[in-house]
Amino acid sequence: MQIRNTGLDYRRFIFVIICSLFIPFSQSFADSGSQGASALSITLNPDKQFNYAQELFSAKDYLTAVNEYKRFIYFFPKDERIELAMFQIGQSYFLGRQFDEAVKSFKKLTDRYFETEYSIKSYFKISDIYIALKALDLSLINLNNLIMITKDENIKDEAYYRIGWIYIETASWDNARLYFEKISPGNRNKFRLKKLADELDKETLIPQKDPKLAGFLSIIPGGGYLYCERYQDALIAFLLNGGLMYAAYESFDKGHGALGGLITFVGFGFYAGNIYGAVTSAHKFNRKETGQFIYKLKKNARVNLSADLENKGVLLSFRFSF
Amino acid sequence: MKKILSFIVFFIVLAALSGSVLAGQDVKIDDHQQFSDEAEENLENVSLYPIKFYQDYISSVDGNRCPMHPTCSQYCIEAFKKHGTFLGWIMCSDRLMRCGRDENKLSDPVWIDGKKRTYDPVSNNDFRRQ
Repeated sequence: MQIRNTGLDYRRFIFVIICSLFIPFSQSFADSGSQGASALSITLNPDKQFNYAQELFSAKDYLTAVNEYKRFIYFFPKDERIELAMFQIGQSYFLGRQFDEAVKSFKKLTDRYFETEYSIKSYFKISDIYIALKALDLSLINLNNLIMITKDENIKDEAYYRIGWIYIETASWDNARLYFEKISPGNRNKFRLKKLADELDKETLIPQKDPKLAGFLSIIPGGGYLYCERYQDALIAFLLNGGLMYAAYESFDKGHGALGGLITFVGFGFYAGNIYGAVTSAHKFNRKETGQFIYKLKKNARVNLSADLENKGVLLSFRFSF
Repeated sequence: MKKILSFIVFFIVLAALSGSVLAGQDVKIDDHQQFSDEAEENLENVSLYPIKFYQDYISSVDGNRCPMHPTCSQYCIEAFKKHGTFLGWIMCSDRLMRCGRDENKLSDPVWIDGKKRTYDPVSNNDFRRQ
């Protein structure tokens, strides 16, 4: 038999009633809290995020822009501007002078996208970076890879054209001609190949000095410098070496062996230096003349490739001096 | 007459040795095979003493009047360090002969402390660069 404690039941009833009175208040408190939290939080919007990154890029704050482009890629992986954001990361690194990171970023893009607007652009950018870093062989490999994978004749032709110019930079005239000839007939006028070929044929007229002959002529002190058109140096070399030889001869002749030996030692340095200097002078002369020829060639016959693409075509800007 | 003959023979031998200059850096490689690195370094250091003495006690008083960059003394130090004593000495002599005349027309100018100088580093005169 159970004895019901009516006093306890009554107190329980009161407690439940009081608690139930607080239920609506507790809900309202909870609502107001969540509303406050939502007011403080930032909602990421693809347009705003991308525009912010672009704004940083425009303000030349490249390394911060990289982070914002990365944030955009992370939060909106299905956005149609992902490829552009990846390209902009590469551009930002490039403009921020972090060339290795720029190459890595562009390569990431070319690995992910195939024959798209920005992947082609990335190939050309990688090539430009390697040229800026004087890694011409890597630039050639990169462009040859592009030629292998693309089926678009216009892109292939631009790659051939760029390779030809890399060979011109290294004065490899025959290799340059070889690649210019690979450009399809339809694009030959666009790249002004006729004019370029005519200008390139003038490479045989570049004045050159033979380093071996310069060294041989230096047996007579100053002869090599004279051959390299360095007349003042030739005179100095002749007088200095002639004077030291005469001084050494006189010293030996008058029985001053030690002095003669010392003068001969010094004289040997200047005599050998006269030969060495003549050989390097010939190389310098050739380098300078070749450099001037390439400069004129660029000025007169190079089509500037902006590498800006519209759809799949290559946008070219022309600049010629007549 | 005997003295003249000995002088001529001595000088011909020296001239023949200088022919190795035309062959580039091959001689230096042989030198490295014969001497240990430590001995070579000591030899270089000793050969740099006169140049450092010149830089510290003569040039500092006399002033920097060399129209080239790097200056001839600095060029010599770099040449000795890069190519060893033998070729360094030859390059140093060559530079002293070329300083400030025709080189000014051939090499690029560079502005150092507001003064126009001719840029002619050791690397511009290396055969291996060609």
